[in-house]
Amino acid sequence: MRRFRTTGVAASALLLAVAVAACGSSSSGSSSGGGGGPSGLTAPTADLPVPTSIGTGEGQLNLIAWEGYTQPLWVKPFEQKTGCQVRAKYAGSSSEMVSLLADGGGGQYDMVSASGDADLRLIYAGDVRPINPDLVPQIKNFHSFLQAPAFNTIDGKHYGTSLQFGPNVLLYNTDDFSTAPTSWSTIYDKKYSGKISVPDNPIQIADAALYLSKTQPDLGITDPYELTQPQFDASVNLLKQQQPLVKKYWGLASQEVSLFKTGSATIGAAWPYQTSLLLDAKAPVADTIPKEGATGWADSWLMATKAPHTNCAYMWMDYITSPKAQALQATWYGETPANKLACPIMDKLVKGSCSVLHANAPQAYYDTIKFWKTPLAQCGNGQNNCVPYSKWTTAWTTITG
Amino acid sequence: MDHAQGEPQPPPAAIRLTGLRKRFGDTVALDGVDLAIRAGEFFTMLGPSGSGKTTMLRVIAGFEQPDAGTVELHGEDVTQRPPYLRDVNTVFQDYALFPHMDVQDNVEYGLRIRKVDRSRRRERAAAALELVGLAGLGSRKPSELSGGQRQRVALARAIVNEPSVLLLDEPLGALDLKLRQGMQVELKRIQRDVGITFVYVTHDQEEALTMSDRVAVFNRGQIEQVGSPVEIYDRPTTEFVAGFVGVSNLVSHGGQTYAIRPERVQLLDPTGVAPTSAVLSRGTVTDTVFLGVLTRYTVALDDGGSLVAVRPNLERGSLSESDLRGQAVIAAWQLDQATDIEMSADLAGEHVEESA
Amino acid sequence: MNNALWRRAWLRATLTLSPPLAWFLVVYLASLVVMLVTAFWTLNDFTNQLVQSWNLQNFRDLFSEPYPHIIGRTVGLAALVTVTDIVIALPFAYYMARVATPRTRNLLFAAVLLPLWASYLARVYAWIVILQKGGTLDWSFSKLGLGAPDIGYSNTALWIVFSYIWLPYMIIPVFGAMERIPNSLLEASADLGARGARTTWRVILPLVLPGIAAGSIFTFSLTLGDFITPVLVGGARSKFIGNVIYDNIGLAGNLPFAAALAVVPIVIMIVYLSGARLLGAFREL
Repeated sequence: MRRFRTTGVAASALLLAVAVAACGSSSSGSSSGGGGGPSGLTAPTADLPVPTSIGTGEGQLNLIAWEGYTQPLWVKPFEQKTGCQVRAKYAGSSSEMVSLLADGGGGQYDMVSASGDADLRLIYAGDVRPINPDLVPQIKNFHSFLQAPAFNTIDGKHYGTSLQFGPNVLLYNTDDFSTAPTSWSTIYDKKYSGKISVPDNPIQIADAALYLSKTQPDLGITDPYELTQPQFDASVNLLKQQQPLVKKYWGLASQEVSLFKTGSATIGAAWPYQTSLLLDAKAPVADTIPKEGATGWADSWLMATKAPHTNCAYMWMDYITSPKAQALQATWYGETPANKLACPIMDKLVKGSCSVLHANAPQAYYDTIKFWKTPLAQCGNGQNNCVPYSKWTTAWTTITG
Repeated sequence: MDHAQGEPQPPPAAIRLTGLRKRFGDTVALDGVDLAIRAGEFFTMLGPSGSGKTTMLRVIAGFEQPDAGTVELHGEDVTQRPPYLRDVNTVFQDYALFPHMDVQDNVEYGLRIRKVDRSRRRERAAAALELVGLAGLGSRKPSELSGGQRQRVALARAIVNEPSVLLLDEPLGALDLKLRQGMQVELKRIQRDVGITFVYVTHDQEEALTMSDRVAVFNRGQIEQVGSPVEIYDRPTTEFVAGFVGVSNLVSHGGQTYAIRPERVQLLDPTGVAPTSAVLSRGTVTDTVFLGVLTRYTVALDDGGSLVAVRPNLERGSLSESDLRGQAVIAAWQLDQATDIEMSADLAGEHVEESA
Repeated sequence: MNNALWRRAWLRATLTLSPPLAWFLVVYLASLVVMLVTAFWTLNDFTNQLVQSWNLQNFRDLFSEPYPHIIGRTVGLAALVTVTDIVIALPFAYYMARVATPRTRNLLFAAVLLPLWASYLARVYAWIVILQKGGTLDWSFSKLGLGAPDIGYSNTALWIVFSYIWLPYMIIPVFGAMERIPNSLLEASADLGARGARTTWRVILPLVLPGIAAGSIFTFSLTLGDFITPVLVGGARSKFIGNVIYDNIGLAGNLPFAAALAVVPIVIMIVYLSGARLLGAFREL
């Protein structure tokens, strides 16, 4: 497990990744075609032509990436194989990625490793362009729900390729919980006052909504990112009751690790690789996806509209989706790879990592994950009466301020 | 201090200093000083810079602890007492007025600490300001005052506390000549009015002679001579005092060294009749300097050495400087006008001049 | 031409300064103006686009919870940190300026300045290690039999860390003011009968007040504008104005409200600086 590591920067970046995604198909299991764009929104670059074959490499590839996403471990072999020299600029947040990619990358950047939150914002701003999925053959080996997910595929047009993903799990201290907790109710329970830790992120409202969708079916919540005002208010209210019980809203991945390592927190929402880090440090912890399911995040490599090195960019997509590269990144970073064929290679790299990271889980497991999308007013209920993300931010400030 | 020997018992000393020594690193500031200052007198400590006079004052005030020796105020040993428990007040060389307080508050500072009630405080401060000629300026800030006015505030601030001893550390040093002369007179007046002991530190011998009842001449951490201004001037006991206070000619006569003041040397026509009672030396005038009131002549003596003589310019154009330059003269002085002095070996050859 | 330039110093100064000045005006002030104008716009909930119509809604929102609370916390902690730093800096600067030998003074000066060379984050992380549960502080207290205080991730931790981080910015101007007090003033005070405490209160404090005011500009404004330390060491209720601004300009894209919120520290600092100016702070800068 030694290679399961992260940096504060990458972790905070992931934290800040919050979906600006559209609605459309809300099913995480949707297998193809993606969803249609929300009414009134169109992607400006939708009609740009896509190549039918990959030409000669331009010798260079300029990437905007989360820190750690362009490790020499898997970039070096790519450079040797294709002659494309990779220059990476690390972004600290989804917002930074969006601003770096303004004006289609300005003819400077080729690709961005955007998270589900930033994807649709980039697509609808015209900063990324469609790609030809036939030139990335590994896509067909992806988990079905990542082959053409709503966050990077609009009206059948792919604007990039899925990369890695992870669920937001329920992390607990095994000294305090002899058996695994089965419900998110534990993080709303007065019994654990002062021992609870959850991410400092407005998208946490979706976690509350997901919980309420199961425990209070009267509210009629079907999608935790598409909430009407009463549903939204109920979720916010739950979080307000939770607030006095919270020890710390963690902003950096390392904070959650240190909270659990020192015993300051014994139950909370976390990412699988934080679990890995804690297990590495012999901390008495385990994680679980409770019966209500979980929220999750997913990253994609998207193509900049003014990408100057498109051939190298296609070569990169081809390479980074291959089982070997997927396994290297997954085990290094502690993420779940999009490519199902990465599993055996992961186990070869780090024994047991495939199952720890849920790379070979049954479809039912993935169905429990509701991937981040940006909450928009025009939601899938046809009435366009959902609470938009700016209000989520305001509400989150009210809860944690 | 052997006051008992033969002399009548002096009045009780306001300050008695015994065996004071103080070193700063390698520098000896006070090298065993004994001194008694009488109550009510205007006492001046005179000396060149670095002679120990300011250190002496600071030891009396309590700002410095002596390495050895004792300080008594009115018979009470206060050597170990901090400044705020000594019944003395100081007028500082840089005035040390509190810049954030107005004149009134500055003057009332000491009274406030002594918990004098408000109306009494006002009264005394007003009286003190009146005394120093600053009535009505109480609401000014020190920065709004001239140098002379600040000096007066510093004085008022000290005097208002009615200390038994007032210490003044070159208080007029920063003032220009006219102002200084005016203040000298005024300080003396104030001292007479309030009747408290003034201990005054200066390097200006004229100031010392003008104002003091007694003067102590400091040199290299020691007191060379203590006496009235007339004694110090007319009968210097050491070469240093002779040189530092006014200008003196040091001449040998009959195996003795004498100090003779320039104004007591007569220049005579060599062809004329010389007074028989005088000591006569032949020489040539090498330099004449017109000083306004006086003209100063330097005479190279035929036997070697030189003498300085001055003559008052009693009549307009009576003696232009060109008259005597290069002329042969006889320098004449009376033995009873000269002082025989101890030659201190280390001072021999050093000729201290101060403009007279 | 050269002659004319030589004779007119203001002309030379103007010509030399105008390019950077123009740059400053355009880039900095213009951005500030744009930001202020944005504060009067709103965000369309459906398109997430800015609506350029003038209204005061964003400013009205500032007066509804939780914002008064957050502003109060930010200002309150900035004030508390400032007072703490004053209390620590005064005796420290006094010792440095008036008691210590030149050698000790240089050593202390280095000790004050050296941390400024280290990364802000490194220093904050050091405090996390000290304050966290079972950290150095808890360990020391339990060794002394006092029981672990366990103040990691709390506003208390925030207060301690801020006070530490900004302390040099208080010590330096206070030391400067302290060093400039002529020794004779302190002697004069003692000479007039004042003991140490009264001299401190009546002479030293009023005279270092401009230095304190200058230092407080740093400690207050730096705390007021910080949003990293609250994330790193704050607890469950430690949000600062800066954090809320950051939350709103991020993916929320609510620039108008963020801009309105950003006006708050600007106004607070204008008021503060006016007050500090009256105390003579700018003479010490």
